[in-house]
Amino acid sequence: MDRGDSRTRFANVVMPHLDDAYSLARWVTGNRADAEDVVQEACLRAFRGIGGFSGGNGRAWVLTIVRNAAYDWLRKNRSPAVIQVHDLEAERVQVPDDATSAGNNPEAALIARADEAKLEAAIASLPAMFRDTLVLRDVQGLDYREIAAITCVPIGTVMSRLARARGRVIVMLGADT
Amino acid sequence: MTMTENDRLLLNAYIDGELDPAHALEFERRLADNPAFADERTRIEALRGVMRERLPRETASPALRRRVAALARPQPFATTWRAGWASMAAMAASVAIAFAAGSIATLVAIGPGSREPLPEVLVASHVRALMASQTVDVASSDRHTVKPWFNGKLPQSPRVVDLTAQGFPLVGGRIDVIGLTPVPTLVYRARQHVISLTALPASRRGETTLPPIDGYNIVEWTDGQLTYWAVSDLVASELENFARAFRAGEAEP
Repeated sequence: MDRGDSRTRFANVVMPHLDDAYSLARWVTGNRADAEDVVQEACLRAFRGIGGFSGGNGRAWVLTIVRNAAYDWLRKNRSPAVIQVHDLEAERVQVPDDATSAGNNPEAALIARADEAKLEAAIASLPAMFRDTLVLRDVQGLDYREIAAITCVPIGTVMSRLARARGRVIVMLGADT
Repeated sequence: MTMTENDRLLLNAYIDGELDPAHALEFERRLADNPAFADERTRIEALRGVMRERLPRETASPALRRRVAALARPQPFATTWRAGWASMAAMAASVAIAFAAGSIATLVAIGPGSREPLPEVLVASHVRALMASQTVDVASSDRHTVKPWFNGKLPQSPRVVDLTAQGFPLVGGRIDVIGLTPVPTLVYRARQHVISLTALPASRRGETTLPPIDGYNIVEWTDGQLTYWAVSDLVASELENFARAFRAGEAEP
């Protein structure tokens, strides 16, 4: 592929997803300046690798590269504990006793009232891989298959990560503090 | 009855619309029988709602956008094939070959200037719209607003069909310029995907799904005096569903 052609492809495939790319990078790194660095690095990789894009879902392709770049950044700049979540995969989420809340659902009311800061804090406290699964689904609106492709795990793992991530956030927001 | 781990996964997948119809039906029965399931569903839906409403939409800063664009400053469209008669002749030759091979290479023929293949031009218009802050010039989910807006600007306005019930809400409309001719484009949404539907003077009959370009699928069909081109990053089968729904839909009286 000549250079002009890859420029056009880059403009078609990568540029439309820059907001999504930045959003994901910000959720993974936790701040705006680092997210910009990650996106820039990811876009450079995308430009170099555009010849390998076989068509199909451009957004998923871009987000896969952004996620990889973001995790490389985490490995370099954060303690390994932030990334090692395999132990947590087995951890069970504490959920409210369903029987007692039947009928009026006070947690749901508390969750619905959570403000932006509380919501951000709850999501930010999740281990990275639970957080990005939740963000890809509920902030960016991707379906399970796309999330499985981006995070390189089977759909069953996406399902369990998502259920646990939501369960934890629900517990945090539903606690009356 | 308390929920097992597996029930939780199924409940989340059910809420996300990820269960196939048979499993969804089966799960709905259990949902009706278990107040605990219904309570957890209310909490998950509350969380989904609050995330959608309260979290600000993150956008790349103009500075970041400039830096990334500078990585690969694209050639402006429509200049590519204006290099001269030589390249035009080469293009014409390649088109002749493409037709002979039975593949599709409709050229922009409705105005002087660009001689780029029409599907590429339509994908470029779609991409430009995605990158703008607004994908539409007139934002309205009401076809009774969108159609008159076109009427005031173009000699021929497209059918505007309400497809909300089929899962394709109308977002609005915009005017794209193909060659030198302004043409109407309707914008619909399918979940998070944007569909650009451009109407051009009729070229041929039948519905065709074209090979995707850079990940964008294209479906084209002719209805009376107009040929409609749908462009989206939606998967091809869903874009074909959209095309069928649009063709079957009741137009503005």
